[in-house]
Amino acid sequence: MTATDPETRIPDPIELDRLEEERLARAFGGAQPSTDGDQAAGLRPEFAGFEMVGVPDRPPQTEREKEMYTLEEGEMLLNMGPQHPSTHGVMRLVVKIRSEMVTDLDVVLGYLHRGIEKLCENATYTTVLTYVDPMDYMSAMHNEHAPAIAFEKLYGIQAPKRAEYIRALVVELNRVFSHALMMGFLALDMGGITPILYSFINRDETVDLLSAISGQRMLFNFFRVGGVNWDVNDEFINRLSRWRVNQAKSIGDNEKLITENEIFVQRTKGLGVLPAERAISLGVSGPNLRASGVPFDVRKAHPYSIYDELEFDVITQPGGDSYARYLQRVAEIKQSLHLIDQIVDQMPHGPVQAQVPGIIRPKPGRAFGAVESPRGFYSVYAISDGGPNPYRFRMRDPSFITLQVMPVLMPGHLIADTMAVMASLDPIMGGVDK
Amino acid sequence: MDLGTLLLGIGRFVLSTTLLLLLTVPTAFIVIQIELKVIALMQLRYGPNRVGPRGVFQSTIHGFKVLAKEDTTPDHADRPVFTMAPWMVFMAAAMSMLVIPFAPGLVAIDSQISVVYFFAVLGLSVVGLLVAGWASYNKYSLLGGLRSAAQMVSYEIPLTLSIVGLVVLTGSLSFTGIVEWQRIHGWGFFWQFWAFPIFFIAATAEINRTPFDMVEADSEIVAGFATEYSGMRFGFFFFAEYVALFIMSSIVVTLFFGGWLPPFFTLPDGFIGTVLGAIIFLAKTYFFVFVAVWMRTTLPRVRVDQLMGMAWKWLLPLALVNLFLTAAIVLIFNLKPVGG
Repeated sequence: MTATDPETRIPDPIELDRLEEERLARAFGGAQPSTDGDQAAGLRPEFAGFEMVGVPDRPPQTEREKEMYTLEEGEMLLNMGPQHPSTHGVMRLVVKIRSEMVTDLDVVLGYLHRGIEKLCENATYTTVLTYVDPMDYMSAMHNEHAPAIAFEKLYGIQAPKRAEYIRALVVELNRVFSHALMMGFLALDMGGITPILYSFINRDETVDLLSAISGQRMLFNFFRVGGVNWDVNDEFINRLSRWRVNQAKSIGDNEKLITENEIFVQRTKGLGVLPAERAISLGVSGPNLRASGVPFDVRKAHPYSIYDELEFDVITQPGGDSYARYLQRVAEIKQSLHLIDQIVDQMPHGPVQAQVPGIIRPKPGRAFGAVESPRGFYSVYAISDGGPNPYRFRMRDPSFITLQVMPVLMPGHLIADTMAVMASLDPIMGGVDK
Repeated sequence: MDLGTLLLGIGRFVLSTTLLLLLTVPTAFIVIQIELKVIALMQLRYGPNRVGPRGVFQSTIHGFKVLAKEDTTPDHADRPVFTMAPWMVFMAAAMSMLVIPFAPGLVAIDSQISVVYFFAVLGLSVVGLLVAGWASYNKYSLLGGLRSAAQMVSYEIPLTLSIVGLVVLTGSLSFTGIVEWQRIHGWGFFWQFWAFPIFFIAATAEINRTPFDMVEADSEIVAGFATEYSGMRFGFFFFAEYVALFIMSSIVVTLFFGGWLPPFFTLPDGFIGTVLGAIIFLAKTYFFVFVAVWMRTTLPRVRVDQLMGMAWKWLLPLALVNLFLTAAIVLIFNLKPVGG
């Protein structure tokens, strides 16, 4: 084989670019937006196609895409993101508008793709748990919980009872600050600048606790296959009870600013209504689904960890609108605080880590672990081929699924509502793009 | 009119205009500093505390920072209009300062029709915002400009109508005249307590403050009309906004809260009275600046259709009812206005 063999030589990137451009030019053909009408209307040539800025630079791939990017008279595309003050990370929304009214919407993803699934397939079972942390960075504990469950099933071990209680404790702590932040972000996206600061104070108190037992503030790396990294001690329990009192107060402060606020209620009630059947058929889960009145909670439907030993009810809201989704989060914060009380009361003594070897080699097989993350049904599916790495490691992230309701909810609303609806769905782009 | 009077008039005009133009910048600095600190206080933060003692020069540094920044113009922008828009907005705010009575005798132009002048000149700023949005060749700017046109044109009507009642009552179209009337009859708020909320809400909308800051709603349309502006051109928009906040607060004080009049005693004549009056006036004005900042910290933004609905369905009818009732009372009780 020589270097010029067309099969093996490394392609020149510049030439590839040129080929791609030629392909696009051929594919576009006559599909380029026509500028004749603009010139007839006396517009300067450089203004031609102003309303089309935001169209992908490739021909439409699907019927849906063709429909989305074909403009009717009086319509315009508005590109929001990936650099936009309120798209929760690097989400990009292409909004088709008629004056201020949204007629269609396209969610463009992939700006935060880091290939975490593939990274995990190249890591050993113990190190996978460090890679999943930055996925849904608002709920790192839940991200670790699901693979831990799956790997334990795969390897056939059981975490000690105390470890399960500590796991439930930290994931509920995580849920509290995640939902509290959602309250702030929702208000921020509607122009209220104070609740987000209160939410972050709130988060800080919780994260201080979590860093006290895990050693980290954001990407905790606390779970292990067959247990947890550190035990909790009496000092931690004391701090937890102080935190419990503060938290109830600061959540209340935030609620006073938002829940009864006339402007907030006017702007969220009846906005982005997601009926129960539609929510189920679109695969929505978690608080968004329960806000549509469907009592589905993984903790209750498929109890994992110690949730079958705790007493709690599945909370639902009747509305299905943005306000219901907000109220659902607030109710779940209170539920989590209640669960934390129970967990602390019932926590047994004992070890926090089962005996596992340094390198885990499960028998060939497959396992599935699912948890109720603050975003919804978060699950992990792992296949082992007997080696030290997972043969396949697949994560179902709830915010990715949830985002597909945006084009369903938005038509007929105003531009200002786009952000209110999006924030009420509470997507985290780290999880969406993986 | 002889030459001496003419020259004196011109000299007075040039001097007062220059002084007021010079006054706008520190006013904006002070208002911004108040906003930074008050918001920080309400959000349980420290706020700026590094530049100068207790961070008092933070907004000044911000102001000089925008001077040092690069001033860019988008490729497809309509250059002359793009360049002129910030100037129009700033001049509208600065020129309306000319008729504000700071203290007895301390007013640049003591016109008989200063109320009309004020609303006419302040209304000019909408033209600046609209052309800024139009000339930027940016969709966010376009939406912001259109929003500003819709919003300010709508709110101009209840804003102006709400004070017609006061004008009927006092029989004066001059701010100084209205303050003098209040010296005899008590604060306008007690006579027109119904007009005050209408005026205050409409004024908040007119100067694009939260909860009516649709024009530059950062979570929706990035920065609205100012999206493509940078450097000192953006600085002019920014200053104009805060100067407008100061001006609106001072007009609220002048019309409804007695202007320079102290609440429980009468001002002495002469220089001391002027200084004392100015201090009282500024104190009242900055109180309303504080109220506006307070509102910004507390409230989310209303939606654009709710905003328009509020102007046309609530404020305008209420202002008309207020005008009707005031006129009826003036006629029935045959109140003799001082100026008329």
